[in-house]
Amino acid sequence: MKTPTDLHADVAEVLVSEEAIQARVRELGQRISDDYRGRNLTLVSVLKGSLPFMADLMRAIDVPVRIDLMEVSSYGGTATESSGLVRILKDLSASIAGEDVLLVEDIIDTGLTLNYLIRYLRGKNPASLRICTLLDKPARRLVEIPVDYTGFTIEDRFVVGYGLDFGELYRNLRFVGVLRPEVYSGGS
Amino acid sequence: MTDSRPVGAEPPQSPLPDPEAPPPIREPGSEPPAFAHASEAELSRILDFYAVRWEYEPHVFPILWNTDGDVLESFAPDFYLPDLDLYVELTTLRQKLVRKKNRKLRRLRELYPDIRIKLFYARDFRALMLKYGRFALAEELSGTPGQVTPDRSYEELVAGRLGSLDEVPATVTPTGPDGGAVIEAGAVQPALTRRRRRRRATVARRPAAPEAAATDR
Repeated sequence: MKTPTDLHADVAEVLVSEEAIQARVRELGQRISDDYRGRNLTLVSVLKGSLPFMADLMRAIDVPVRIDLMEVSSYGGTATESSGLVRILKDLSASIAGEDVLLVEDIIDTGLTLNYLIRYLRGKNPASLRICTLLDKPARRLVEIPVDYTGFTIEDRFVVGYGLDFGELYRNLRFVGVLRPEVYSGGS
Repeated sequence: MTDSRPVGAEPPQSPLPDPEAPPPIREPGSEPPAFAHASEAELSRILDFYAVRWEYEPHVFPILWNTDGDVLESFAPDFYLPDLDLYVELTTLRQKLVRKKNRKLRRLRELYPDIRIKLFYARDFRALMLKYGRFALAEELSGTPGQVTPDRSYEELVAGRLGSLDEVPATVTPTGPDGGAVIEAGAVQPALTRRRRRRRATVARRPAAPEAAATDR
């Protein structure tokens, strides 16, 4: 994949504008604040895609929160690889036992990663575990998981921006956009 | 979305696997099943990666009978995910065959309204490969090039090569230098593929009430 010279030029369409994202994040922050008032809330962000969302969301929440970060390996096996398991690349830095945990995701599509994370986090005995995602792409869902806070439900398109990448790029776009197909059709 | 549940109350439980669930059905290091298509092998690796247990074509569902009650047509979804109670069917074939599969799927849902099945089309699979950065594989595994030739049935081979069983050649040997069929002169009776033998050996589930058809979901 070639490094693009103009990120914006590779975007065919802005799916969710910066203004819409910020307005929705404020709404979510208010709802979460109301729901968790008087409780011990820990926001767990899943790197790297949810970083911008996490940064904005935590500042839209007006109750005390702890934050923690996790990173898990993504599937990228080759046809010659016979096995492999998802790995925790970065684990939580503090115990969540007895805490109310809100898992913050950038996007949920197949639900495979989230399914794994939920199982993993439940094993750490939080008082509660809920899910917050900026984007939900239900058309791709393989594992049905109840989502408690959803920013936007989007159609089945490949999106980048506001943390979401293609080949580790485009994360710094301030909106969520649809990449031009020719950008990835010839990639390797 | 609205959420009126009190904080601290667990959300409704989806059929998620138990953290103490037993290990995957296929033991690590054991030989994987003979997949009919490379995309199925790739999906099995993805499921293994995310520790989702799966079975390959474990159930055959009869979907058409003659007046004597003999099964004329069956449907065996590619994967069953026992912890999610979900069947997954991959369709990376050309449109004509997709239509045929869609018809079988509608029939399946009418006859067995309680089963949950997810159909993955070629575009879904390409999107999955794109998500995981497997750009080249998206094309490699889609459609005819993804077929694992040695496991294809005689009929499928002939249909794929000639388009019609009316043009069945005398002999079809599934070991051509290009991975396709080699057509020769002579007369050899085709043997069942491993996949077909396994399907025939599988105990079929009968629908509880075939006439209780549900609408297409």
